[in-house]
Amino acid sequence: MGAAGLLACAALSGVQAQIPGPRPQVTVDESAQAYRRIHIDVEYAPNEAIAGFEVRYSDTAFASIDDAELHSVIRVAETGNLARAPEGGAFDECWSNGLPVYRDGAGNPVVAPGASNWSCSLSGMIPGVEQWITVVPIGADGAPLLDTEGLEPVPGRTDVPDERTPPPDTRPVTYALGSVILSAIALLSFLYWQDIRRGRSRSRLAHLYVAPALIALATLTFYPILYGMWLAFTNADQTRLGDEAWVGLANFLTVFASPGLWRVTLFTFVWAISNVVAHVLLGLVLALALNTSGLRGRTVYRTVLLLPWAIPGYISILAWNGMLQPDGLINAVLDTGIDFFAGVTSARVTVILVNIWLGVPFMMMMLSGALQALSTDMFEAAEVDGVSRWDQFRFLTFPNLKGTLVPVSLLSFIWTFNSFNTIYLLTRGNPYVAFGDPGATDTLITYVFAVAFEYGRYGVAAAWSVFVFLMLVGFSWVYLQRTRATEAAA
Amino acid sequence: MTTRTLAERWYVPAEIRVLRGWIPFAALVNLVVAGGEELRGEGASLRIGVAAVVLFALLRLCLPDGAAAWRRQVARPIALVILILGVYSLVEGQPTSYELWASTWLLVPSALTLYWLSAGLSGTWSAGNGDSRVAELGLARNRLVAPRLEKFALHTFLIHATGLVVAPVVWILDVAVSPGNILGGDIGDAFTLEHFRTVLGGEDFWLWTRNSVVVAVGTTIVGLLLAIPAGYAFSRYNFSGRKGAMFVFMLIQMFPGIVILVPYFMVMKTLGLLNTSIGLIIAYSVTALPLCVWMLKGFFDAVPRTLEEAAVLDGCTQIEVFFRIVLPLSLPAVAITALFSFLTAWNEFLLALVFNTSNDAYTLPVGLSSMIPATGQQWGDFAAASLVVSIPVVVLFVLFQKALIQGLSAGSVKG
Repeated sequence: MGAAGLLACAALSGVQAQIPGPRPQVTVDESAQAYRRIHIDVEYAPNEAIAGFEVRYSDTAFASIDDAELHSVIRVAETGNLARAPEGGAFDECWSNGLPVYRDGAGNPVVAPGASNWSCSLSGMIPGVEQWITVVPIGADGAPLLDTEGLEPVPGRTDVPDERTPPPDTRPVTYALGSVILSAIALLSFLYWQDIRRGRSRSRLAHLYVAPALIALATLTFYPILYGMWLAFTNADQTRLGDEAWVGLANFLTVFASPGLWRVTLFTFVWAISNVVAHVLLGLVLALALNTSGLRGRTVYRTVLLLPWAIPGYISILAWNGMLQPDGLINAVLDTGIDFFAGVTSARVTVILVNIWLGVPFMMMMLSGALQALSTDMFEAAEVDGVSRWDQFRFLTFPNLKGTLVPVSLLSFIWTFNSFNTIYLLTRGNPYVAFGDPGATDTLITYVFAVAFEYGRYGVAAAWSVFVFLMLVGFSWVYLQRTRATEAAA
Repeated sequence: MTTRTLAERWYVPAEIRVLRGWIPFAALVNLVVAGGEELRGEGASLRIGVAAVVLFALLRLCLPDGAAAWRRQVARPIALVILILGVYSLVEGQPTSYELWASTWLLVPSALTLYWLSAGLSGTWSAGNGDSRVAELGLARNRLVAPRLEKFALHTFLIHATGLVVAPVVWILDVAVSPGNILGGDIGDAFTLEHFRTVLGGEDFWLWTRNSVVVAVGTTIVGLLLAIPAGYAFSRYNFSGRKGAMFVFMLIQMFPGIVILVPYFMVMKTLGLLNTSIGLIIAYSVTALPLCVWMLKGFFDAVPRTLEEAAVLDGCTQIEVFFRIVLPLSLPAVAITALFSFLTAWNEFLLALVFNTSNDAYTLPVGLSSMIPATGQQWGDFAAASLVVSIPVVVLFVLFQKALIQGLSAGSVKG
């Protein structure tokens, strides 16, 4: 998408900005061949106008930029507050002046403005096929700074054969799935046999009925969970699939040594607890309001108030994203130009508020159902005795709602804790903190996603998941114990 | 002082009672407004907002209690000051709709306070002149007035709540019919169908829709095939392992999805199911399975057993009983469960994002969100597409809300 945007800019501007000096000189380093990688060295005359480079390639020789695919973008920017990527930390490894390049928040390579050369090992090249590569300098607006026609791309190829014989070996997984299915069947048959032995004839087919669902759960939930736990002890990553090796507790050490661990954990709890409290309070108030006898327009109100639940979540989140932009509706109404996602605190408050908006209707409907189930006699009697509204709520409604409130709020906590869409679609965890660290609005869940699918470190991500899981189990257990204790005391 | 009659002691005018509840609320709203002014950096309005909060707090403290006359003498000037603040903030500058709303929250509460403290029975009572005649009249009148005032307050509250809920919907409608990619601007100032033409005329949208339909329908069918027999067995039979299995089904619901996300992805990658509909169908029907089973169990529980017993006596086999009696009777319930799994699959984002990396395999959620990347955001097209995607879903949801919620609470709460 970024590429499309850059192209569109180039097309719109119409005029080709020019910079003096020759085109960047690209040479392919045949000696640095690797599997699916072509190594290029680029030399150029440094120029203030250059804000970055696009690497373009195609499997046919091309003259126009439009005939080539964008491979990657190397930015030229101040590197003061950026970190160098760790070895193997990124997909395309790049160097400048012999050192690994800096990486920005999104992991893109960044070269310092003064440099006059860089080199990259371009990944994803099909072995044994001639590839044509060129490098185009671009300006701050993303438009190419040199003519985009009449290019002279450099040919290069990698002949290193497939390092792994036929790509991912499916046998371990199939064996594992097969044995899971067989053990599920064995378990069910054992239970069936036990029933017959005990002479329960009525349940003859029950095990057969449950079998498909249980086998599906076993293969697609239990097995992945166990597999995930195993992954947490291996060095699985983007480049190693199917031949991961046992590394012991190394991934857990990475997790506990990560500088953002306690910050992201704390924010996750702040996020989940503030959401649940707001959901329960607002949901309760709205449910009580809707439950008032003789309220006109109840159906209309209820239908409208249900909308945040009825509208697909990703759509309303993106709508809020649009409304909260500096030129969005909220700023138009307030007559301001605030970037709500820029500051750490304001971004955090904003994502929490949007998620509160999303979750209230569920709570409202659950509590509304519970309120309707309360006997009206009780309230009539209280009315006759002159009990005030507030006391009615305190001594009659609330205690009777507890049975619903406890499981619903626990469920809501777990859902919010595990929720991904709101933060991903609003901020992607930004504001940025440091390379590889969770962003200011990252929760454990969005951060695990980033570790797995943006940095490609599956083993570490699995270790984070295990950490999250244990924490959630612990919290739920303590919560249930506590509420049980208070119920027993009451 | 003479001893007060029971009626006198008992009587508080409904208006005063209502003010006791409303004024803190008005203070709260003004606090929010002041927060907004802080964001806007409007010094003058901020000072008005803070002053209003303080004045409302004072007013609440000085509300008449029917005995001390000084309370009215203090409360009325405070209300007057708030009223003047309201008029000032309204007159000063060109009021936007937001400022109009903000000053309403100064004007209405203060004006009502002034009026109720000055006129009618509540006025007399506030001045400390309430005798037993006033109290008796007032008590009769309260019964008439109090419900009306409460309804008014309730509607004000609910209208504010619905306003907050409706805002994004109105915004999407407006952006969808506004030319270009304008995010702010006035509501309803322009009309164009260009975005609908772009979206519906393009290939991507139909591709994503096709993928979503295939995945959602597939999920519904596979999910029901797995869930119906299981739900029936849980509802009807007492077999070994029933309790354990039901507990497992409930536990799975609480499981953090992220724990299985990475291994899921690896399994799908190994089996070559990334970027296919089948991979998503399998994943969705299993993740929705526990809730579907619980919903169906709840519905089957509601079908009377006597019918089945009669059918068995008449010589039906177990399978015939299920297909001829139970299934037709619980067809509406099955339909609701089907709708539920359809909606879940239709709206799911995370798994679709992870499993599908190519545009050809995108489902609507991933496709639509790909219209809003960091650069080159097409808000207009996105809004138009969102409307097309969500209107049928919202209509279905609203039509079947009762049954859906009933099923959900059977599945999640009572379980």
